[in-house]
Amino acid sequence: MCNGAYMGTTDQRPPLVVCDAGPLIHLDEVDALDLLADFAEVLVPETVWREVERHRPSALSHPGITLRRISPRMIASPELEALAQVFSLHTGEWEALRVALEFRPGLLLTDDTAARLAAGNLQISTHGTIGILVRAIRRRQRTRDEILAVLKSLPSRSTLHLKRSLLEAVISEVESIS
Amino acid sequence: MNKTVIQAELPPDLTARARTYVEEGWATDFNELLADALRRFLESHSSRVTEAYVMNDVQWGLHGND
Repeated sequence: MCNGAYMGTTDQRPPLVVCDAGPLIHLDEVDALDLLADFAEVLVPETVWREVERHRPSALSHPGITLRRISPRMIASPELEALAQVFSLHTGEWEALRVALEFRPGLLLTDDTAARLAAGNLQISTHGTIGILVRAIRRRQRTRDEILAVLKSLPSRSTLHLKRSLLEAVISEVESIS
Repeated sequence: MNKTVIQAELPPDLTARARTYVEEGWATDFNELLADALRRFLESHSSRVTEAYVMNDVQWGLHGND
C-alpha cells in the first residue's frame, strides 16, 4: 500500500481528476485552487458539489478553473457497495469513487484516509491537498519558497488538520530539494 | 461500563440531522449515535496510514511523472 514507493500515475500528461470536497475546500482556503487548472479536466460529483456549496461556496466559482459537475451514470458494483460499508464512506466519497471508476484512468483527489483505502482496493490512484501543493513546484506553478510559505500557514489558514510532526516532515522534505 | 461526559460544540444543522436520525429510531439515543460515529471514524482513520499517504503525496508531488 504505502511502502515508500509513491503511487503515481504513469501517464506523462496531467491526468483527469475527480475531486472530493476536502481538496477543493483546503486549496481554496490557501488561495491555491488555481493549481487544479493544470489538470486535463476536473470532475466534481454532484454530492460533493452540494457539500462544497454548503461549506465553502467560493471554491466552486474560481475564475481560473472550470469544474465539471457530474453525476455517476453506472450502477455501483457489489464490490463498491461493500467497500463503502467497510470503510464507512460518506455519500460524497462514495460518489467520487463511482465517478473515478467511470473515468479511468483518472486520479481521485481526496484528503480522507478511508476513501483512499477504498480507492486503493479499486486500483484508483489517489492524492490529496498536500500532493497538489507540492506538485505545484514540479509543474512550475509556484516556487519552492511559495509552497513552503503555504505549508507553514496551513495550521492557521486551513481546516486541513495534520499532526504537527507530520507537517514538519513534509516541510523538511520540500526544503531538502534544490 | 465507565463513561466519560464530554461537552462539544456542533454545527446546528448537523445536530438537527442527528436528532432526526435518533427520533426516527435508527439509534437508541444521541449518546449512542455520537459514540458510534466516533468509533467508526477512528476505525477508518488510522494515523499511521494517513501519515503514509501524506508522505506518498510529497514524493508524487516532487518526483511524479504526470
